[in-house]
Amino acid sequence: MTFRNFARSTAAMMLVFSAASAGAEPLKIALVETLSGPQASTGLLYRDAVKYQIGKINESGGFGGEPIELLEFDNQGGPVGAADRVRAAISEGADVILQGSSSAVAGQVTEDVRKYNLRNAGNEVLYINLGGEAMELTGAKCHYYHFRTSPNAAIRVNTLLDGMKEAGVLGDNVYAMNQNYSWGVDVQDNTVGAAERLGFTVVEQTLHDVNKIQDFSPYVQRVQAAGADTVITGNWSNDLLLLMKASSGAGLDVRFGTAFLDQPGNIGNAGAVAEGHFLSAPFNAEVNPEETSAFMEDYKTVTGHYPSYVEPTTVFGLMLLGEALKIVEPTEDGLKAAELAVALENATAETPMGPISMRADDHQIIQPMIVQKVSTEAKYKADDTEFGFVPIKVISAVDAEQPVQDSCKMKRPS
Amino acid sequence: MDQILFALLNGTIYGLLLFMVSAGLTLIFGMMGVLNFAHASFYMLGAYFAYTLQPLTGFWLAIILAPILVMGVGILVERFILRHVHEHGHAHELLVTFGLSVVIAEMIKMVYGKFAVDYRLPAELNFAAFSLSGIDYPFYRLFMGGIAIGMFIAIYLLLTKTRVGIVVRSAIYRPQMVEALGHNVPMVFMGVFGIGAALAGLAGAVAGAFYTTNPNMALELGVMVFVVVVVGGLGSMGGAMAASLLIGITNSLAVGSDFRLADLMTWVGMGGFAEEVGGLLTMRMSSLAATLPFFIMLLVLVLRPSGLMGEKE
Repeated sequence: MTFRNFARSTAAMMLVFSAASAGAEPLKIALVETLSGPQASTGLLYRDAVKYQIGKINESGGFGGEPIELLEFDNQGGPVGAADRVRAAISEGADVILQGSSSAVAGQVTEDVRKYNLRNAGNEVLYINLGGEAMELTGAKCHYYHFRTSPNAAIRVNTLLDGMKEAGVLGDNVYAMNQNYSWGVDVQDNTVGAAERLGFTVVEQTLHDVNKIQDFSPYVQRVQAAGADTVITGNWSNDLLLLMKASSGAGLDVRFGTAFLDQPGNIGNAGAVAEGHFLSAPFNAEVNPEETSAFMEDYKTVTGHYPSYVEPTTVFGLMLLGEALKIVEPTEDGLKAAELAVALENATAETPMGPISMRADDHQIIQPMIVQKVSTEAKYKADDTEFGFVPIKVISAVDAEQPVQDSCKMKRPS
Repeated sequence: MDQILFALLNGTIYGLLLFMVSAGLTLIFGMMGVLNFAHASFYMLGAYFAYTLQPLTGFWLAIILAPILVMGVGILVERFILRHVHEHGHAHELLVTFGLSVVIAEMIKMVYGKFAVDYRLPAELNFAAFSLSGIDYPFYRLFMGGIAIGMFIAIYLLLTKTRVGIVVRSAIYRPQMVEALGHNVPMVFMGVFGIGAALAGLAGAVAGAFYTTNPNMALELGVMVFVVVVVGGLGSMGGAMAASLLIGITNSLAVGSDFRLADLMTWVGMGGFAEEVGGLLTMRMSSLAATLPFFIMLLVLVLRPSGLMGEKE
């Protein structure tokens, strides 16, 4: 036997063996995130949070007596990379795919998972969307194997507006300033949609390019000309920072209502410019102080920093996954995704913010939201500044809930 | 009226900022014959150096020292990296500068972290220069514009009125001839590269405090700077100035305008048709603002491939 033949037959035998032993393999969860390149900062936060919570699940026994194996894939920030990495994750045997940053990438992943499941009935994979907040993901693009563990645009905007209205800072004239893609458009639509209910006027709506603008002063000028009291914006990262800085530089007396002001670096960079502006998010360090502090400190011990921005929401979402895994029994071929999906619909998790659960109709998480304000009085300061977030209003999971979209036609397996 | 005045002023200042970065790039292009992809990284380095120095030396000294440090980096890059690659041709030089930009960005992330740093204006500079119909105009914007204009005048005088300028300009066009006349051409190249880097560093140190200093700032500005250099004409200083202002002002005016193509078509009685078609025709100018520079670049490349004031083909 030549060496080549020998190598071939060994390889073939190994294939046979690995196929036979697949049933005993541990549950594999794949994180497909942006781990390199300019957008990696958020992706790496998702990784920290996922590692933390999977670690917790493994400490309490993992799944089926085996620790869960976490695979990491770098999607390099774009839908194309994500499509490729999702294929790789599935071929390496991942049963659950986690992804969070960017609704554009989430849109690609959810479609890929849907198509894969159509072609591989009985062998489905689950997609847990940790942070893509565009409406279409639980609307026109919703499907049975997609679960969103973050709020969506409707929840963010409506809780934010409610909280600001109640605090008496919303004013009569609201300006909607957003990035021109699915998420920004959703924030704009929901702002306009809430106008009648809360009795304000949307004086103007602007959609601008995403992360391309250096100089926001022309936009600020429009805000001033429109006579706005409040600017509601879904902007994140530089688009949010530069907008607030330009507004403060122009001496404009407007209040910002935001969705992502808690991104690390924002408060540090904006400093006093951010003071008094609002945020609606699923976490605040001062709510339920006892349990929350314990969580904050434990998270810091494990990862080296306090949880912020997308991290708490991710941890809570995976808590729900952990609860669901307790309900499911491992079969001979590992995990049945369809069973896990049912379990997720029925599970509830007790988080430091309160109980959370998954709505069966569109697989949108139902969780408490906290409307908060940047202030020097916060207990936990952000970015080593004197500022932090103080809770203004805690909105319970039930009150934060928004109706299921008509466009969601979810086909449940019979 | 005030609106338009503000838009023009904003556009001019933004244009001047673009000029500060593209001035060095266009100088280096004239000299090396290739685009320096790492140029915007020098801009970022300037901001981070100034941020680091500010607590030690105060703001003013920081924005003077940071460009000098960046010049040092630039000179090292030219002397020890680019000069060796030069003989292998333009493609290699391009690749090296591209690689360098990636390396610098990653090093910044390693040292300063992945998020924006806390580099801000000193309080004594943070005041309004004047106020028009309720909007304050930050003094610092005028300050940035002033620095850019000062820089333009200085470079222009240096290149056209001094002996050094004559040597540099001739070294750019006929290096062999200048060398034959007894001038140290590699030294001239190194100097030009260093000065170009320092200009970008100065822009970074000044603008980083006003905008944000983050590991993506090179990428964000870099694209726009290339557009400026291409539109202005590769290697032309005056062209870079004209293109910077053109892009800054069109951008600023476009943001404030609700103009749609459909409105134009209403004039010829096709408004209804345009509304029905939708798409690009009913898109507001303000949401296309950041795309306009690329449109201008396309137009210039089609009509006048050497750029507004370019001489080289």
